[in-house]
Amino acid sequence: MMLFSELYSAYYSAVAAVLTAACDHRAGKEEIREIIRERAFSESLLSMEPALTKGEWQLLLPDGTTPLCAPPTMPLTTLQRRWLAAICQDPRIRLFTDELPSLGDTEPLFSQEDILLFDRYADGDPYGDEDYIRRFRLILRSIRERTPLSIDSIGRGGAVIHRTLMPERLEYSEKDDKFRLIGSGCRYGYVVNLARILRCYPSPVPPAFQSAEGTDASKCCVTLELWDERNALERVLMHFSHLEKQAEKLEEGHYRVTLTYDLSDETEMIIRLLSFGPMIRVTGPEDFVEKIRSRLILQKQCDPGQHA
Amino acid sequence: MAYSERIKNFGRIRDYMRDFYVYGFKSREDYTLKSARSYDDERRHLESWLGDYMRFRQGKDGKTVFLSIDSRRVPHNPLYAAWKTRSFTDGDITLHFHLMDLLRPGDAPKTLREILDGIDARLSAFHSPRTFDESTVRKKLKEYAEEGIVEIQKDGKTVTYRCAGDDTVPVSRDVLDFFSETAPCGVIGSFLLDRLPRQVSVFSFKHHYITGTMDSEILCSLLQAMHDRRYVTVTRRSRNSGRETRHLLVPLRVMISVQSGRQYLMAYSEDACRIRSFRIDGIISVLAGEICGQFDELRTRLRAMEPHLFGVSTGSRGGEALQHVDFTVRYRPEEEYIYQRLLRERRCGTVERLSDTESRFSADVYDASELVPWMRTFLCRLVEYHFSDKALEAQFREDLETMYRMYGVGEASPS
Repeated sequence: MMLFSELYSAYYSAVAAVLTAACDHRAGKEEIREIIRERAFSESLLSMEPALTKGEWQLLLPDGTTPLCAPPTMPLTTLQRRWLAAICQDPRIRLFTDELPSLGDTEPLFSQEDILLFDRYADGDPYGDEDYIRRFRLILRSIRERTPLSIDSIGRGGAVIHRTLMPERLEYSEKDDKFRLIGSGCRYGYVVNLARILRCYPSPVPPAFQSAEGTDASKCCVTLELWDERNALERVLMHFSHLEKQAEKLEEGHYRVTLTYDLSDETEMIIRLLSFGPMIRVTGPEDFVEKIRSRLILQKQCDPGQHA
Repeated sequence: MAYSERIKNFGRIRDYMRDFYVYGFKSREDYTLKSARSYDDERRHLESWLGDYMRFRQGKDGKTVFLSIDSRRVPHNPLYAAWKTRSFTDGDITLHFHLMDLLRPGDAPKTLREILDGIDARLSAFHSPRTFDESTVRKKLKEYAEEGIVEIQKDGKTVTYRCAGDDTVPVSRDVLDFFSETAPCGVIGSFLLDRLPRQVSVFSFKHHYITGTMDSEILCSLLQAMHDRRYVTVTRRSRNSGRETRHLLVPLRVMISVQSGRQYLMAYSEDACRIRSFRIDGIISVLAGEICGQFDELRTRLRAMEPHLFGVSTGSRGGEALQHVDFTVRYRPEEEYIYQRLLRERRCGTVERLSDTESRFSADVYDASELVPWMRTFLCRLVEYHFSDKALEAQFREDLETMYRMYGVGEASPS
């Protein structure tokens, strides 16, 4: 079982699409180019088009037809079947279906025993809860069908919040192990934690507002200097690798890093940056630095080391 | 050799992808381990596959090229593209589509002769038809049988071949959109998605680490060996020195950090005679060996260690069996969420509510230094902390003093 195989390549996928078209009609040059552009890479056209049209790959005849009898097919590979068998053991599969696919005696590629996400938060969503599953499926369907939803959920203070929104997408956090519904057209925020929803049903009326969901306008930057001690360079860059970032070497062992984050995650960013201790120093913007400083002032006031 | 967009060896591009994506500050001149030509080729590969995410910066040391991706804004991991670039010959691709056309789901099995005749008949439509000899086709069919897409049947001396199943993807696109981003070896889900009509995903992912993508093949080999309960010989390469070392291991579990994206193999090391962790991104090859008769026993031993693992370290720098850590946080009565945070993030530790404004966390772990970054996330609330490793406690305090100085918070207190 090979993972890095030409069977899964963008080139085989693009050629399969070209041959599917050629089984149906004479595939023209522009159509072939369009398929290659869509399914392969920016430079693929340079090699694939001549290979297909000039007979290096003897699959497409000069008139745009193919000697194949029918559109190409390929059975699932063992690797694909084993991966599918593995995800079918994941409790979250129940969010999507009650009927698991029949994969015969395929051994799963991995079991839940083989993998541990060791620093995931302990209060993840209740994936076995029938009400949660029902709401998840309704939301999924509503996003696809562009149906507005009326939602009652528990707010942070414990009060029930009612809102009507247009569901846009579901955001999943691997760290929190939670789904959030991202919506639009709602005055009271567009993010709803699925586990906090009490009731959810299709709304006969559209949302009252035309607001868009969160956009790039809420993005912010923070800049820090980093001293590569105790492997800090690698730890910081790995830790923030999921964000847009720029790293610059100032001198040997000394770097500047700029991270782009969502404004709504500012508190989380502050504590994540604090976790690196003195290996980094936040240098801007000033209000962010001030928030770090405020926490340190408070810490100094209650620091047991100060009274030792 | 002339540049080709397709690649044969993933190992080389794996290092470049990590450098461009995780580090992103190296200029062409910094790639001293490889030739400048190699750098130019690999950069061109990445530009071709991931051009939308390539960024450039001109500095005093020259031009720096890097990858910048906000994984919250992309519904599908763009790095999967690299796994779809395997090279092949003109013969490979030609033979593939003709073989799959001859061996269709539900068709009767065919002999090698029938297959060769079928290929010749199809290729005869071309002006200068190429020919495939018997051994090439037999070898390709054997390869496809190993991949599970062709079945070989033997009846006495007669060998026949047939399609191993149909091409139906038995789960919905939503399932694949989700699990291709969240399950181990998610790139396989991406391969399955390529078989389906295009559709916009309804999912996005926060705190989504995609650095493990480059290690998918290593992870896949380790998972297979674990499933078969086999020994493995892994070769690791030190990132700093470039030195390679080999280890005979019993792979027991993969531990993944959802807060850094790092993936670790927990394994029994025959050399060290103990269970320890290995960074998967440092492993460059995995060779499966014999079946290990003690697999279940070793896994049970690992499970017994887990109540003392805050991270993945199975040994302290001080060498003690277990180290104790506890700390107390203070919060206002309306900040109940701090107590909830402790409960949610405590892992193997215990949380005790001391009053409506104070809670204490404590743990006995193999390596207390693993808790330090997390403890710092409570800065502004830490009213007490104790480490049984006094050197570690002193360093924690010293680090705090350094931070106070860095941000101009009062004067450093005498130690």
